[in-house]
Amino acid sequence: MVQGGKNLASKIQEKAKESLSKFTRRQLMELDTCSHCALCTEKCPAYKESNNVLHAPGVRTSKVIRLYDKKHGFWTKLFGEKEITQREIEELAESTYHCTLCGRCMESCPFGFQTHELWVRVREIVDSLEGNPENVSKLAGLLDENMNPYGLEPDTRLDWSFFTDLDEAPELEEAKIAYFVGCTTAYKGANHEVAFSICSILEGQGENWTLLGEDEWCCGAPSIMAGKEDDAKKYVEHNVKILESKNVERVITGCAGCYRMFRFEYPGILGRKPDFEVIHAVQYLNELLTSGKLKVEKGSEKIIYHDPCELGRLSGVIQEPREALSYITSDLIEFDENGVDSKCCGGGGLLQAVDNEMRLNIVKEKLDEAVAKGAEILVSACPACKLALVDGVREFNHKIEVMDIHELVAKRLGVLD
Amino acid sequence: MNNAVPAIYAFFVETLPYITIAVFSVGMLLRIQRWTNAPKDHNNPKISIVDSIKYIIFDVMLFRKTYRRDKATWLLVFSFHASIGGILFGHMRGFHIWSASIFDPLGHWMADFMIHTLPIYMGWLLIGTTFLLLVRRFILEDKQLSSLTNDYIALIIVLLAAFVGQGMRLFPPEATSTEIYSIVFIPRLIVLHLEVVPSYHWFHWHVLLTQLFVMYTPFSKFIHILTGIVTPAIYGSRRKELGV
Repeated sequence: MVQGGKNLASKIQEKAKESLSKFTRRQLMELDTCSHCALCTEKCPAYKESNNVLHAPGVRTSKVIRLYDKKHGFWTKLFGEKEITQREIEELAESTYHCTLCGRCMESCPFGFQTHELWVRVREIVDSLEGNPENVSKLAGLLDENMNPYGLEPDTRLDWSFFTDLDEAPELEEAKIAYFVGCTTAYKGANHEVAFSICSILEGQGENWTLLGEDEWCCGAPSIMAGKEDDAKKYVEHNVKILESKNVERVITGCAGCYRMFRFEYPGILGRKPDFEVIHAVQYLNELLTSGKLKVEKGSEKIIYHDPCELGRLSGVIQEPREALSYITSDLIEFDENGVDSKCCGGGGLLQAVDNEMRLNIVKEKLDEAVAKGAEILVSACPACKLALVDGVREFNHKIEVMDIHELVAKRLGVLD
Repeated sequence: MNNAVPAIYAFFVETLPYITIAVFSVGMLLRIQRWTNAPKDHNNPKISIVDSIKYIIFDVMLFRKTYRRDKATWLLVFSFHASIGGILFGHMRGFHIWSASIFDPLGHWMADFMIHTLPIYMGWLLIGTTFLLLVRRFILEDKQLSSLTNDYIALIIVLLAAFVGQGMRLFPPEATSTEIYSIVFIPRLIVLHLEVVPSYHWFHWHVLLTQLFVMYTPFSKFIHILTGIVTPAIYGSRRKELGV
């Protein structure tokens, strides 16, 4: 590859032209509509931490539309295309990977651009231009080999059950409910008890449920976040095939990323709706609590709820966790910015792989606010959020307990210490 | 009247309007072609008319999100857009979309204020806010935003058009026509009728700059005037779908 500032080989130029043409009608209209007004900038968690102009969402649109116009602009018909430089690719990569894909910029954009999808498309372009950061490039290989983004053996996917008190991890041929654990829950120690808690709730209800075990593959979200939507198809098709072969009626997942992926991306990638309903475990939990099928002792700890971006802002699951928590504590408090306007914890968008320091600084802000409000327990409903929050507590020695809502319920039920 | 104007001014009011319409139309066709050539979206929500209108009004017209975030910035952007909107509405009278008589029920003093006084305040507001937006853009440049050249050109066109438009109002007319003076953009369809020929030079330069504004729309950030109703409609419908 030619070094910074100089023109890239013509093959890359062709790839750039092709990948830039993948912007959909709506996305192109959004890019054309963007007034580069910077009204989104201060809401961006990444920019707020770095104050680096490249990390501002509006700057990303400026950079992208410049590249687009170099290859597809009005004037290319008269004067020909312009070449994209290595420096431009590097800047775009720097910009798009210093983003948690939290979609908060959408909530401050007067035009309501669907920025989450837009930035994923930008990552596709960066990937096609071979501009992905090193750690992100490794991801595809890890996924390919192990069907999870952590590079751990597929046959260790159920190891979490050995580390918990789960007597038996059911792997049935057919079941009404399938619990899709998700890689970050299955492979990250901080989340093993989340899986155990959800299993315990399902077991306690006498549900006809199953795990997928080794047959569970990554949901495909990391591939999409790494700009490799085509790669995600393999995982989507596999998971749907396995779930449908088990005649599952309902898929429950405790992972906000997996949930969003199943609900919003799977139908598009698959070209049809899967033959099962997908819900987040917190919706299931809320169903049980509101219907009286599950009764827990109401405590009085001061609990603060963090909305996972992929569950709240990007999937609309905002009220259910709060309703569920109202059965668990009499002292539920809120972050100043919550619901659709919730501040990201820094745990998304593969930021950890690119700039863990930034991720931790974003977490710190969240933890500082929770502590300042006097919260004893910081509760979320996403393993990636929990991981980020736990890492933050360790890094900055905050005096606050971080738990997943299902762990909290399992503790109340006495099944978790 | 037309015979008395210099050739360049005659060009601005007699020939340029046709060029303006042609450039705008071709530009819009190119822009639409650019969008339609792109792949279709597979996950657009089903459009909800009620929610689309709601979000267009609150988010685009009233800048609700900006209001919640930063009141000073809101005041600036809202005042800018409100003054442009008011001025464009005023110009519609010249195109016979509405007539001054709609203000009659408000009484003579109020009707006179709406027709003759308020537009001058609107003009100052537009000049002031456009200037401040330029300053804001300049200050935030390479810190929070990265402008395209057309971001500046667009604001400069608005500023100049507003400035000469205001000059036209403030300086007394050199001549008053005995007959209605017209600029034809599309015969019998888009025709600007002026009851009073305003200050001569200011008027013709204003005509030029406003036509540059129209011609530049499809090729610049001005396009958001048109697309700014589409994206929030999709956003509003998506939120409705999510139950947010």
